[in-house]
Amino acid sequence: MKSVEPAHAAPPAREQAPPVTDVKPARPARPGRRNRDWLHGLLMSTPAVAGLIAFVGIPFCYAVVLSVHNVRLGSPLEPTFFGLEQYRRLFTDPDMSGPFLRSLLNNLTFAVVVVPVQTGLALGLAILLNRKLKAIGVFRSLFFMPVVFPMALVAVIWRLILARSDQGMLNSALDAVSFGNWGAFDWLGDSATAMASIIVLSIWQGVGFQMVILLAGLQQIPGELYEAAELDRAGRWQQFRHVTLPGIRGTLVFVVMLTSVLSFRVFDQVYVLVKGGGLNEDATRTVMYQAVTTAFDQNNVGQAAAITVVFFLIVVALTLIQRRVVRPDNED
Amino acid sequence: MSSTSRKYRRTACTGLALVLPLAALAACGGGGTTDTSAESGSGKGTISVWAHQGQKSEDAAVQAAVKSFNSSQSDIKVELKLIPGNDYTKTITATDASELPDVMEFDGPTMANFVYNKKLAPIDDFVSTKTMGNATDASKSQGEIGGKHYGLAMYDSGLGVYGNKKLLDAAGVKYPTSVDDAWTADEFTAALKALKAKDSDGKTLDVQEGNGLATEWGTYGFAPIVWSAGGSLLKDGKAEGALDTPASVSALKTFQSWKSYVDPNTDGNAFAKDRVALSWVGHWMYPTYSEALGDDLVVLPLPDFGNGPKTGQGSWAWGIGADSKNAKAAGAFMDYLLNDTNVTAMTTANGAPPATKTALAASELYKQGGPLQLFADQLAKPCGDADISKSCVAVTRPVTAGYPTITAKFGEALNSIYGGTDPKEALSKAARAIDQDFSDNAGYQIP
Repeated sequence: MKSVEPAHAAPPAREQAPPVTDVKPARPARPGRRNRDWLHGLLMSTPAVAGLIAFVGIPFCYAVVLSVHNVRLGSPLEPTFFGLEQYRRLFTDPDMSGPFLRSLLNNLTFAVVVVPVQTGLALGLAILLNRKLKAIGVFRSLFFMPVVFPMALVAVIWRLILARSDQGMLNSALDAVSFGNWGAFDWLGDSATAMASIIVLSIWQGVGFQMVILLAGLQQIPGELYEAAELDRAGRWQQFRHVTLPGIRGTLVFVVMLTSVLSFRVFDQVYVLVKGGGLNEDATRTVMYQAVTTAFDQNNVGQAAAITVVFFLIVVALTLIQRRVVRPDNED
Repeated sequence: MSSTSRKYRRTACTGLALVLPLAALAACGGGGTTDTSAESGSGKGTISVWAHQGQKSEDAAVQAAVKSFNSSQSDIKVELKLIPGNDYTKTITATDASELPDVMEFDGPTMANFVYNKKLAPIDDFVSTKTMGNATDASKSQGEIGGKHYGLAMYDSGLGVYGNKKLLDAAGVKYPTSVDDAWTADEFTAALKALKAKDSDGKTLDVQEGNGLATEWGTYGFAPIVWSAGGSLLKDGKAEGALDTPASVSALKTFQSWKSYVDPNTDGNAFAKDRVALSWVGHWMYPTYSEALGDDLVVLPLPDFGNGPKTGQGSWAWGIGADSKNAKAAGAFMDYLLNDTNVTAMTTANGAPPATKTALAASELYKQGGPLQLFADQLAKPCGDADISKSCVAVTRPVTAGYPTITAKFGEALNSIYGGTDPKEALSKAARAIDQDFSDNAGYQIP
C-alpha cells in the first residue's frame, strides 16, 4: 500500500510545477537520466539481491541468533539465552576446541591442496582433450563421467579401492605390481594417508567439471593466434605461456574461485566413509561434518549454529582475500 | 521474566523455521501440546505406518504382515512406508509430531527421547490386554517409562561371537559352549593368535567394521566391553567416573589390540566365505551364517573382561504416534502385528529372539537345545540399564532422552580408540562431553 502513496503525491507536485517550468530546461537532462539508470540497476538486481537476502542473509542472522542460545532439536525445554558460551566452548574448552580447530585445519589443508592440484590437472586434461582427434567426444565424456556420479556413490566405490588388508583393490594392485612385496596398508585408517585419500577421491570426482569449463575457455582462443605464434617460431611451451594462458585467464580465475568455494564444502565423502567404518575421523573431520553431526546426531542446534557462523566468517574472509589476489584483468 | 523467555523462544523458533524448517516444526510443535495421549478415533479408516528398512527378509515380513492385515478385514487400511535404517531415527527426530504416522517403529534406546519430545503416546489404552500380557518381561520393561508403556517389540536382540567350527578345530582352539564358561579377554586374544597362525592373511576376526564404529552399531556392539569390565555408560546421570574407569580403559586397550586381527570385511562376506573364523555380531546374522556354514556354525558368548560376559539387549519396537487421530485402529494393527504368526515370521526372517511369550516358547531356534539357546539364556539374565552385576548378562542401553548424545560420544571415542588414540584420553573426553550435555539440558528430566 505504501508504494502507492508517492504515486498519488506526484501529480500535485507536477501541477504545482508550471510556474517553475522555465527553470527546468535550464537544468541539464543528465542527472535525471543518471537517476533512472540507478533505479533500473536496482530494479534489475532485485531478484538476485532478494535471493541473497532470503537464502544467505536471513539464515546467517538467525544462525547468529541460534548460536547465542541453548537450542536443542526437538527438546521440550525452552531455548535459553547462552550468550557467547557456545563460542567460548569452541575456542577455549579443550574437549570441544580440539576437534573444531582440527576440522578447520583439515578444511584448510584440503583447500590448499585441492585448489591448485585440481585446477592444474583440469587444465592439463583440457589441453589434452582440446585436439582434433577421432572420437574425441568419447574421451571427453569418459573424463567427465565421474562428475555425473553422486559423491556418495563415488565414496562407496572408493571404499572398496582403499580398503585395508589385501582385500582392498589398491593394496592388491600394489601387491601385484611389487611382486608380493607390498604389505597391506590401511589407507583410510592411518592418519598420515586418510586426508590424502579423501583428497585423491575428491579430485578424481571433481576434476572433470573444471576440465569442461576450461575446455570451453580454450576453444574461445582463435586458431590464428597459434599460427602467428608458430610463424614467430614460438615453441610449445612459449605458445602455452604467451597464447594459451592469457587467453583463458578469466576462465582460470573463475575456476580457481569455484574450486575453492566447493572445497570448503567437503562433507559427503567424509560422512559416507566414516559411516562405512575404518576412516580416521580425527584426521578427516571437516567443519561441515562437525556441524551436521552436532546438529543431527547430537541434536545440539545452538552449538552447530556457532560452528557454521565461525566457518561462514572465515570463508568470507578467505574469499575476499583471494579475490584481491587473483582479480581478473579488466578485459572482461 | 516469562515474557522475555517467551520472546527468546519465539526468536529461536522463528530462526529454526527459516534455518531448519523440519527441526523447527519438531521443536515448536512439540512444545505446544502438553497432552501426549493420542485421540482414540473411530477405529476405522486409513492409518499410516512407518518402519525402518533393514534386511530384505525383514522388510518382506513387515510388508507381508501389512498385506495380510489389509485383506483380513475391511474396516482399517494400513499404508506402510519403509524408510532406510541409517536415517530412520533422524527422520523421526526431524519430523513434527503432527506429521508422524499413527503407528511407527523405533529403535529401543531412542524411545526415551521420543517420549521426552512428545512424539509417542502411551499404548496401554489401545493395545489389547492379551497382547500386553503376552509380551516378554524384557520387551515390556524396554517400553516402559514412568509406569506407562510406549512401545512393544516383536523381537529382542543379543550379541555373540559366531565361530567356524572347522577353522577353530583346525587351529586347535577350544571354545566355550555356554555363557558360564565364556572366554576371558586373554583367552580370546590367545584364540585369535592361534587362529592367525593358520590363516593365510592373518585376519581371523570380523567385527562388522563396515557398519562403522561411530554409529549405533559401535555403541550396541562394543558397550558390552565396558559393562563386562565393570564400567557403565552412565551412572546416576553421570558419565564421568562410570565410563572412564581404569578397568574400562584397559578393556578397550585390549579391544584396540585386536585390530590387527580384524578383516575389514568390505564385501560383508568375510565369515560366510570362511575368510575369518570368528564374527563378533548379533543374532541377525544367523540366517546368513547358518546357510553358509551349516553344522560348522557355533555360537559363543562375548568374552569376559572381569565382570562376567555381557551382551546388549533391546531392539526395534512399535509404538503409536502422539498426534494419532485414530489410535484405536493403530492399536488394532499392533495387536495383529504382535500375534504369533507375524512375530514368528519376523523372527524367522531375522533370526531374532521373539519378544512374545508364546512365540518364544514355540521358537525352534531359541528353545532349550535349539541352535541359538545361548541368546535366550543371555536374555533370561537381564540387568536392566543400571544394576550391572557380575551374574546378569543382558544389559539395556541407558533409558534416557540424552541417549543420542551418549551414543554419539561413545561411538566417536570407540572409533578413535580403534584408530589408535589412547583409550583413557578418548573415554574421559567422551564422559566430559556427555556430562556437559546433560547439565545443559537439566539432566533430561522427562516432564
